[in-house]
Amino acid sequence: MPITIPKPNLLIPKVPSVLVAGLLVAQFLFFQVGHGPEPKCTLNVERPHYSTSLKEKKNIDAIKLNMTVTCSVPQKYSEIASSIQKIDNNRETLAHRFQVIRRVPEIKSSNLVVIQDLYKECLFGVWSTYKGEAKGFAMLESGKKYPLEADSGKYMAADCSIGAQ
Amino acid sequence: MSYFEECLTSGGLRFQEERRALYKYLLEINNDFYVSQANLLLDKGIITRSIANGEATYFLKNRKVDYSARKLGSDEIYTELRDIKLTRLRFYNIRKLQRFFAQCDVDVISNFPLPGPNPQEESGYGFNANPFYTVAYYANGQNLFVGLIKKIKTTDREMLTKLRAL
Repeated sequence: MPITIPKPNLLIPKVPSVLVAGLLVAQFLFFQVGHGPEPKCTLNVERPHYSTSLKEKKNIDAIKLNMTVTCSVPQKYSEIASSIQKIDNNRETLAHRFQVIRRVPEIKSSNLVVIQDLYKECLFGVWSTYKGEAKGFAMLESGKKYPLEADSGKYMAADCSIGAQ
Repeated sequence: MSYFEECLTSGGLRFQEERRALYKYLLEINNDFYVSQANLLLDKGIITRSIANGEATYFLKNRKVDYSARKLGSDEIYTELRDIKLTRLRFYNIRKLQRFFAQCDVDVISNFPLPGPNPQEESGYGFNANPFYTVAYYANGQNLFVGLIKKIKTTDREMLTKLRAL
């Protein structure tokens, strides 16, 4: 009488497929959450300029400093200390230090903070060259503080002098 | 339009000096109102009121007061904007809250002014990190003693006179 030896079915997995799928998902989540790209923020300081809009609307001569903070993740707010430097007798001097400001982004675009309300009165008709500087941090939604520091680059001339009154 | 009304409208508060003077003026004219609001907040734990084109809600929790704000008619609420720690002394808390309310009123007016001829340029919600009632505001990153001297010297007389003239 012939004896039949059953062949082992190598296609049947020894580990349950649900467990395998679970392990794959866990590995994916581990690498996504634990080792995801680091958040990045950029502070952009524009060159200080004479505000023509303030002259037109309120008849006030002022130098304006605009800034933006752009992050790769949502931020709660940005807190910035800024100043305007000027060249006086071939020396770099502090023209004005603004108050430390905190700005909460618009809820619909929480990665971007726009700062457009920094003005300093000046005397029109006297040329000066200015540079903007800023330092602070972005408070991310995760609770992490991201340090920020930037300046506006080259000095820019304006026909209005801060501190010349 | 009076200077005070101008401050409540868009583009009215461009400079720190204007905001600081408005803070002092609000503290002056709303003295009794702020006391009653402070009592209400200490008793009920929450108050809401509107000023200019905005609305602020104050919350008291664990001896800490913070506020949230929104533009009138908007669903977009900015929360936990500024806070103040209270003590166990009620009369001292009322004094602290008076100054806090005046500061927050200036914040709300600056961010949600009444519509005016000058459209608002700013987006989001911005305010001084150091409130007007602190020496740190006057020091502005410098020595606190320098700040104290500046605080004593800063009278804002000219702007306050403009604000008082109705």
